[in-house]
Amino acid sequence: MYSLKDMTVILSEQFSLRIPQLDIGKGEIHIVTGANGAGKSTLLNVLALLHKPQQGSFHFAGQVVGRKAPQLQSLRRRITMVEQSPYLLQGTVSSNLAFALKVRNIHKEDRHQRSYEALAKVGMADFLKRQVKELSGGEIQRVALARALVLQPEVLLLDEPTANIDSDSLASFENLLLSLPASGMTIILSTHDKAQAQRLNGKQIFIEKGLVSRMM
Amino acid sequence: MDYLYESLQTAIQLIFGLDHEVRMAVWTSLYTSSTAIVFASLFGIPTGLWLGLSRFRGKRVLITLLNTLMALPTVVVGLLLFGLLSRQGPLGSWGLLFTPPAMILGQMVLATPIVANLVLAAVVGADKRILPTLLTLGASPLQSAIQFLKEIPFGVMAAVIAGFGRVIAEVGVAMMLGGNIRGTTRTMTTAIALETSKGEFAFGLALGIILLALALLVNLGLNFFQQR
Repeated sequence: MYSLKDMTVILSEQFSLRIPQLDIGKGEIHIVTGANGAGKSTLLNVLALLHKPQQGSFHFAGQVVGRKAPQLQSLRRRITMVEQSPYLLQGTVSSNLAFALKVRNIHKEDRHQRSYEALAKVGMADFLKRQVKELSGGEIQRVALARALVLQPEVLLLDEPTANIDSDSLASFENLLLSLPASGMTIILSTHDKAQAQRLNGKQIFIEKGLVSRMM
Repeated sequence: MDYLYESLQTAIQLIFGLDHEVRMAVWTSLYTSSTAIVFASLFGIPTGLWLGLSRFRGKRVLITLLNTLMALPTVVVGLLLFGLLSRQGPLGSWGLLFTPPAMILGQMVLATPIVANLVLAAVVGADKRILPTLLTLGASPLQSAIQFLKEIPFGVMAAVIAGFGRVIAEVGVAMMLGGNIRGTTRTMTTAIALETSKGEFAFGLALGIILLALALLVNLGLNFFQQR
């Protein structure tokens, strides 16, 4: 899915992310680890096509990633990211899930059915009509995951997605993630939790002071 | 003191008696200012949103210019547009001078920088996660812009109300571009200026009370949206 080579992303005078080589295949799970401030979120933002690299070659799904808005928008529609502290749009859980389907011109009836199914996957099927402002931190995280899953993206980026999820829900969350690559979805997840990294058994990407490397 | 008391009594009678002249002035004010704020919003809201979300060279200069335009004296706007719209001016053939559309144009020029600046402030102060969320959900630039505004409804409403507050109470543009013509371009503010100078203090007072009530309503609205 991704091929990045000799890439530099300069965010400020103090911080830049360097990626000598990174290849990520379709239907794989990749785990990004590293200390706080090492650049995990920056790497995920680069892979979400939100940060533009200053140097290097960047291929996604066989295409060179350029700087033109129409191409970026069309490529972004194949990728979805769930932030560590996700933002839910104002309104209901249902309107959040429907938004991204609406911008893709998905028919209203399909939107409803897909939203229900995605929420059911994260154990929140009965939250469809709930107002976003009534949700707890963990519920917001799960709705954000459902909002990503409803799009059936080719790549799912997750920035420390279990930070607000309680231990009871953690196992089902991880089982859900483990089931996704079977449909061809590529999962790239950042985490602090070494045990979680082992449980998910993905390929390891390590970042130290902005330098991205592979762990054997 | 009797003079003030009697004037106040007459003013209240004029208001509650729905005096024709008072109603005409109130209607002209509301019509011109409301139309002006609609057009000012059409230009000001996208400008503020664009300035808040984009990064480009010269942005600071543009924001400084917009800040300066916020403080434009109404008579200066009136003077410049008078030059453009007067018979000898480049737009003289349009025949707009001393008509409600000329007043609307002038008030729009006054309100647009206010709306743009306050929308800009709302965008800058909004949650930093909104735009990346919209982009990662696959929204186009236009879809992102529309949804972004929906995420900051109170900031946008506060900007529109503040713009309306500015134009409903101004006198320079209405006087210079409208000409204070009875029944067509006489607004509350221009009527107050004229009638008071003619010695009709009670009439001016009646309109002053209505204007104050409107200002109070506008500020109540502004307060409501700013506290959300």
